[in-house]
Order: sequence, then C-alpha cells, then structure tokens
Amino acid sequence: MSSQPVLADGGTRHLLMGNEAIARGAIEAGVQLVAAYPGTPSSEICEVLIDAAPHCDYYVEWSTNEKIAFEMAAGASLVGARSIVAMKNAGLNVAMDTFMTLPYGGVKGGMVIVVADDPAAHYSSTEQDTRFAAAYAEIPCLEPMDQQEALEMTKAAFEISEEMELPVFLRSVSRISHASGDVLLGDLREERNQLGFNKHYKLPFRWNVYGPPGALEKHKWLHSILPKAKELSNISPFNKLNLVPNSKTAIVMAGIGAAYGIDALRRIGLADQFSTLKLGMVYPLAEKLVDELLEGVDTLIVIEEGDPVVENQIRAYVQSNTSGLTIYGKSINKILNPYGELNADVVSEALAGLLGIEYCGDVMSDVRQSIIETVTPRSSTLCAGCSHLGTYAALKQVLKKYPGINIINGDIGCYEQGGYGVAGTTPSPNDDESKKYPNISTYEMLDTIHVMGSGIGLAQGQAHVGYSDGKILAVAGDSTFIHAVLPSVVNCVYSEADITFLVLDNRWTCMTGHQPNPNTGLSSLGEPRERLDLEKVVRAFGVNHVMKANAYDLECLSETIHHALEHKGISIVIVEGECMLQVQRRNRTVNVKTHVIQDKCIGCRACVNLGCPAVTFDKVKRKAGIDPLTCTDCGLCSQICPVNAISKKGRD
Amino acid sequence: MKQEINIVVAGVGGQGSILASHIIAEAAMCSNDTRREHFKVRVGETFGAAMRGGAVASHIRLGLVESPLVGSGRADLIVAMEPLEGLRNAAKYLAQDGLVLVNRASIPPVDVKVGNFEYPTEDMIVQSIGNLGGKVVFIDATNLAIKAGTAKTVSVVMIGAAYASGLIPCTEEKIKQSIENRVPAKFTKANLDAFALGAEEYRRITNGS
Repeated sequence: MSSQPVLADGGTRHLLMGNEAIARGAIEAGVQLVAAYPGTPSSEICEVLIDAAPHCDYYVEWSTNEKIAFEMAAGASLVGARSIVAMKNAGLNVAMDTFMTLPYGGVKGGMVIVVADDPAAHYSSTEQDTRFAAAYAEIPCLEPMDQQEALEMTKAAFEISEEMELPVFLRSVSRISHASGDVLLGDLREERNQLGFNKHYKLPFRWNVYGPPGALEKHKWLHSILPKAKELSNISPFNKLNLVPNSKTAIVMAGIGAAYGIDALRRIGLADQFSTLKLGMVYPLAEKLVDELLEGVDTLIVIEEGDPVVENQIRAYVQSNTSGLTIYGKSINKILNPYGELNADVVSEALAGLLGIEYCGDVMSDVRQSIIETVTPRSSTLCAGCSHLGTYAALKQVLKKYPGINIINGDIGCYEQGGYGVAGTTPSPNDDESKKYPNISTYEMLDTIHVMGSGIGLAQGQAHVGYSDGKILAVAGDSTFIHAVLPSVVNCVYSEADITFLVLDNRWTCMTGHQPNPNTGLSSLGEPRERLDLEKVVRAFGVNHVMKANAYDLECLSETIHHALEHKGISIVIVEGECMLQVQRRNRTVNVKTHVIQDKCIGCRACVNLGCPAVTFDKVKRKAGIDPLTCTDCGLCSQICPVNAISKKGRD
Repeated sequence: MKQEINIVVAGVGGQGSILASHIIAEAAMCSNDTRREHFKVRVGETFGAAMRGGAVASHIRLGLVESPLVGSGRADLIVAMEPLEGLRNAAKYLAQDGLVLVNRASIPPVDVKVGNFEYPTEDMIVQSIGNLGGKVVFIDATNLAIKAGTAKTVSVVMIGAAYASGLIPCTEEKIKQSIENRVPAKFTKANLDAFALGAEEYRRITNGS
C-alpha cells in the first residue's frame, strides 16, 4: 500500500482534510468512477482520488465542466456502477439541468453527488446553500459535522443510493472540506458492482423520462418512494436524539452547525442542559425524531450553516400539529443571520442572548478592535510575472485610444483579480467621478464579474441592444473558455455581435491548483495528450478575425488588441503566456537581472501601476525598485517604463 | 491539561504554515488518546483567494472541541512565520496571557512595497501584544533554518520553538515522527536539526529573561 493516508489500513487513525475523508469514503465504498471539475473548496476530492488511482481500480477524470462530470457519474450508475461526482456550489448550477431530471428515473449503482458550499463566500461568487437543490430535486441529503462523518457519510451515501435507487446528495462546506480532523479509517469493500444494462429495470423505460408512461408518472414514482427516505432519516445513525427530561427548550443542530452548537453550549456552561437533535441526514426531515424532541417543549432553536433549510422543514411540519411552540433560527424569530458564516463565537452569543445567560466572549474586544483597524493589510495580487499582468497593461494602453465608457466583461479565474479593486480604496457612490474611475490600476479593470462564461454573454447583450458609449470587450481564461464559453462564441458568430473577446491562455486551470485541461497537453492522470487548438476551434466556428499574441510583448499585444477592436463583428485575440508559477516550478529564475537604474527613475509609478508584486516603491526617495526574491525577469515592467529606467541586463 | 488548547499558525503563502499546523496536530493526535470523546483534533485553514504570497492562517484546536475555528481572543499560542502576520493574528485571536512566537524575518506585503502603508516596527508589535495582555518572543528562524541546511525549514524551526514552549500537548518523539512523516525524505535530517535549533533558541531566550 502507498504511504498516502487515504490508502492506509482500516482501523488506523489519521489527520485527514475533509476532502481527503470524502475521497477515502469513496474508496472504502468501492467506487468505480470519479468525475469532477475543479472548484474551491471541492477540488482536493478528485485530486486525492487521482493520486490514489494507480493503487485502485476506478476510472477518474477532470471533466471539462460539472454538467459533463455529473453525466459521467450518472451514466456509470445506470449501468450499475458506483460513482461519485464532486463540485463546488456554483458548479451545481452548471449541472442543474441533468441534476433535476435524473431523479425521475433514479439510478441503479450507488451515485453520490458531493457539493462543497462556501458560506461567507471565501472562494466563491455567492454563498448559495445547495441543500435547497437536494430538496428541489427530491433526493436524500447528508451533511457532515466533521471529517469523521464526512468519511462515514460518503460511504453510507452509496448504500442509501442503492437502497433508494436515487442519487444521494452530500453537502460539505469550506470548514469541512478545507479543515482537518482525526479520522478513524474503515475497512474497504472488496466486491465491485457488476455492470449490466436493462432498459426496463423494475419500471418501464426506466432511464428515459419520455418513455411510456412519461415524465408525470416518473415524478409520481419519485414521490411514492419518498416515505422510504423519511424512514431512513428517522433511523439514520447520523441523526442523534439526546433527550433531557423536563427540558422546555430543545435545540436542533444540522451538519457543521452541530460542531459550533456543541462548542457554544460548553462555552456558555449549558452542555447537556437541553434536549438536542443532531441532524446529519437533513432531507427529508426525520419527522419521528422531531416529534420526540418536541414533546413538552415550548422553545426550539435551530442551528445550521447557510439558509434556514432545516428550520423551514420543521416549521412546515409542526405547523399542523404543535401549538405553543416558538421556533428561533434564521427566518422568523431570527437569532442567527441567513448570510455569512457561523462560528462558536456567534452561536455562543446568540444562545446566551436568547436564553438570558450572562456571557462575555472577549474581555479585550475594544483593544482588539483598535489594533485590528490599524494592522497593515496584505492585499492579494496576481503573481510576480503573471501573464495576465501583460494583458491588462496592454488593454489599459490600447483603451486610452477609445475615450468613451468602454466595458470589459470579466469572468472566473486568476484574472478575475483584475476586478478585486485596490486595498483600502472602496469607492463611495458620492465620490467624484475622477476618483471613482481612475482606471490606472490593473486591479480595477473588470467591470462585470459573475460566473464562468457569463462575460461574453453579457457583452453580446450590450452590443445587440445598441450600447455605443464605448467599446465592448470580454475576457476569459482557457479552462473557462472550454468549460462554458464555446456555445457563446457560436452565438456571437450567428448573431453577428460586434465585440472583442480575449482568451487568456495560460495552459492550466490555475486558480484551483493547476489542474490540467484539454489545453494543457496532459490527461487528468498526467499522460501526454494532444492540446486542443483554440485558434482552429474558433475559426471552425466561423470567427474570421482571430489573432494570437504573446502576453510578454506589450507593443505587439497592444497592436493586436487595437486591430481587433477596429474590426466590425466578433474578433478574438488569444493571449498566450503560460502560468508563471508553473514556469518557475520547472525552471526557477535565479540571479534576477531586472533592476531599476536609480538615476534614470523619475518616480512616475507607471511600473507600480502594472500591479506586479515584485515592483517596489520608496516613498521618501520617490524611486521604484525590483524585489529580487520574487522577480521572474519577465520584462513587463521594463517595457512600461517611459524613461527606460528598468534594465533587464543585470547590474554592472 | 486544559479542557481545550487553541493554537494559530500564521504566515505568508508558501512559508509552510499549513504543513506546520498539520505536523503539530498530528503530533498531538498521536500523543493523546483520540478514541475518547474528550480529546479531538481539529485544524481549520483560512486563506483568502488562495493566491501566492497571501496571508495564511491555520487554526489548531485540541481537546474537548468540535469546530475548527479558534474563537476571538482564545488562542493560547500563535506561531507566526512572519511578523506582520503574527500581529494580524494576535490582534484577532490572542488570549490574555497568550504567547506569540514570531520569526523575525519580514516579508513586506505589496501594500508596503508600493509605499501605500508602513510595515510595523518590532516595538509596535511588542506594544500591541502587550496591550492585549500577551507575551511575544522573536526567533531568528530564517537564520537558524539556513544553519540547519536550508531556508525551507523555517516553519520547522518555529515548530521547535513552539514545542519548547510546552504549550503543545505532545511528546518530543511524536512531534519528530510527525516531521519525518510530512517532509521530503532527503530533508529529514535538516528538518530535525531545524527542530532542535528552534527548541534550543526558545529555551536560550526565555531562560535569559
């Protein structure tokens, strides 16, 4: 066996990240197919399963988007195999079409859908609570409180899926997926599901929603089996009822809400004082356990991460048969916010406040706040020598020729930092226009950012409705281009939209940890593959104005973008520049030659505005400098300097 | 032992803070009986948009604990690979009477490098931590790491100092084992040397004061 903890013997104890625990659960269950598209905080599930693949016997891949990954897993399940698909919250939106339809016929082999939500939106466009989606699709939903449960639930999810003949939803969150805990490993299931296909498996035209008797009958079938799911929820080992005699107050804690709730109760001195129901299977609701919990109770508190998904199920359920009960949670009688992230501090305060307990979480909070406000920030930036720095520098230069209000539609990837703003300078709506739109920083370039592939779509709408105050552009990286942009390019050609689109081709899916994609030249397992030829693809789609340019040659890149902007109709510039981190990993720049000739520097800060973290500025001397520890000798700053004060030739 | 022990390991992306937190947590896990309900191990990782050079902090919770994040004002120990990150995390998490171990070598953020902000002086850091009721010990970890054979062992020098503080509930044998488990085999000796140098330096400084 390998030294990887996910492959260690059953019965041993390891410190595992939540995503590793989920991966281990899949291995223990005898998974036969794994598919995913990278997305923080879910990526390590597939990464770990790729690393473990040589020692196991499943198929694993990074698919080109979440919908395809979902369909891979569904297809495997329909022929009887155990499959798992992993994605981040936003990824589920991409897979939604198939996700909503698959439950109508259900599945055969166990199929587990892992979605890692991101409360507080640490790494995401939204905080969306995907447990709603599980309820929407009417499939069982599990939610772990820690890494041990993440492993056990993943394993159990395959069993539940096969028993219910439905896909099972496992909702993780950042603080499960990207946190670690002590985990006791279980034993591996030796047998594998036999493969086979039967188009009328237990039901006529089982896997074909349109096959007789049709979609309505299939929806009725789905409802006919839901009582069985409720029964499973009532007896689930992940739902734990702890009754305290004569307790008038009861607490329901779901998923990681249980971890915060237990910590908070201990902290405010109320551990074991109230009846509690810890929920791990959160949909459908364990109604019998709720009945038992609420016997003689007048106050119910619900603690859960995200939206009031469990709370609302309880509200709907008790409406008809419980009077004199007040429910506190995140909707009516709000004690916790339905946005942001829980922690033991906020849960302690909420519980202490409601229950009239004297509690001071932090006696130093005033001192603390005064220090926090003055601590120097550490702004996130693009990396030193990043090819996107070149793209944005060239764009800034070219757009000076177009004095209107140009719109640059952004997208998702490292380059989205071009819309993160500059530290400590959030514009206010009442600011002077010149202050609101200085347009000098690389980090203020992007005007719209929503989701993968949305930029080029917005651009078409702006163009076709007749926006004419300035040029309309969109940018997207290579992985995003393959994931979500291809149909949009076809639409541009077909509808003759007058926009300019920049593909920022850095060869890898960088932001999530440099996963390979069809443009990398490597398979998911690192074997050589023919690179997808982006230029040929868009030419085949009918884009006539397609040009390639090097991100590190600013003059040529600016000229290429200028040509594209002058072209009427869709024009595409493929900006090439491999991710500098990957370049440096293969061949680290040593003895950095780039430096500022101090006598020549006029202190204009043009190089600083490039946004490269290797460029420094001495406020007192009013001179720029280069940090030799981070500089990669990429040469962008020396091309920007108006007085040639940055030399690439090394010091004398 | 206290019911719960809270430790924050902070630094800049690429300095090995997350690795260090896993070494500490694993050592604590192997030194205590985790089959019993009163000793659990939780590590919460916090980092922004996962960019190179960004601020990174790992939260370690040991004992009668369930959730992965250290509460405001509840860290018994902060291990900082970099002074500004030590101050940032002390401000948020340091308990009264808490200890902050700081590697003296600074990595100025871009905000300082371009002249928009000042980097805090050592005096300012000492004063702020004093105002919070805590104590700070500066360690020349980068120099000690170079002495151990490679600057890449900075985080393990700091683990050595943290171990010597007596605040990590683990044995020396288990923490050394955990280091061996988690660093590349060819750097095992350098890392074990780094651990010893860090522990020795902490003892030298604190015995002298």
